[in-house]
Amino acid sequence: MKKFFQIVAVCFSGCLILAGCNNGSNSSTVENSGPQRDTVIIKLMAFTPDTLTVNKGDTVVWINQDIVAHDVSHFPDRAWHSDTLNPQNVFVKVIDDSSSYFCSIHPTMRATVLLKK
Amino acid sequence: MKRMRKSMNWLAVTVALILFVPAAKAQSQNPLSDPEIASVAVTANQIDVDYGQLALKKSHNADIRKFAETMISDHKNIIQQAAALAQRLHVTPKTNAMTQSLLNGETTTMKTLKAKSGTAFDKAYAQNEAAYHEAVVGAVKTKLIPETQNAELKGLLQSVVPLLEHHTMMAKELASKF
Ligand SMILES: [Cu+2]
Repeated sequence: MKKFFQIVAVCFSGCLILAGCNNGSNSSTVENSGPQRDTVIIKLMAFTPDTLTVNKGDTVVWINQDIVAHDVSHFPDRAWHSDTLNPQNVFVKVIDDSSSYFCSIHPTMRATVLLKK
Repeated sequence: MKRMRKSMNWLAVTVALILFVPAAKAQSQNPLSDPEIASVAVTANQIDVDYGQLALKKSHNADIRKFAETMISDHKNIIQQAAALAQRLHVTPKTNAMTQSLLNGETTTMKTLKAKSGTAFDKAYAQNEAAYHEAVVGAVKTKLIPETQNAELKGLLQSVVPLLEHHTMMAKELASKF
């Protein structure tokens, strides 16, 4: 099980690196060529960035780099939510709508994903 | 609400006194060594695990139980990291006056909490959590971090501050429901 997570983590960091390179080359060529991938870091009891603006259909990856477990839950009703993310675990979601979200384990942790207009 | 705030303040002052009077005394005598700071850090976290376990034993309130579970899990996590770091740095936690005063505070608070039940327990537990975390944040910021020599130990303490601050806010929010 642990191995599975390690593999998942490695895959994701690979994807992230690719996504990073992609963004770099995109800026010099065509803009908005398909869905983008954005990252939110969970660290020191905060989601960073706390407001992320994306295009509809973009993928957001949350990475828990903190020292305790967190989750990512739609605010306020948890209409969608991740599992408990232990340190180093990730959550991936395709964004179709603007929404506020929070950590249901630490409800004072809040952030927002906004769709570009 | 006003009365509530008043009693919260009173509790905070009491806890602050329990924690800080001996701490201030120790500070004026001599700063804590890293092994002593490691002992204080582990003890302060363990005490909140103990309060959480008491809450799980005594409370039937879903919000209280969820909060207590988070406290147990978060503080156990920190103890683990502190212990692992201490081992790696070959620092053996050393009991000292501040550890002892924390433990004395725990004994007193446990007695008060154990005497209560139902909503009275839930309210007292939540208020104590707010006051205890606030006092510990204060001690970590003004005493433990400044007196820590080892950079990694200092770093761990610094990374724990936002967690303690969120626990304080969560506890205040919880207490306001009673
Ligand atoms: Cu959290």
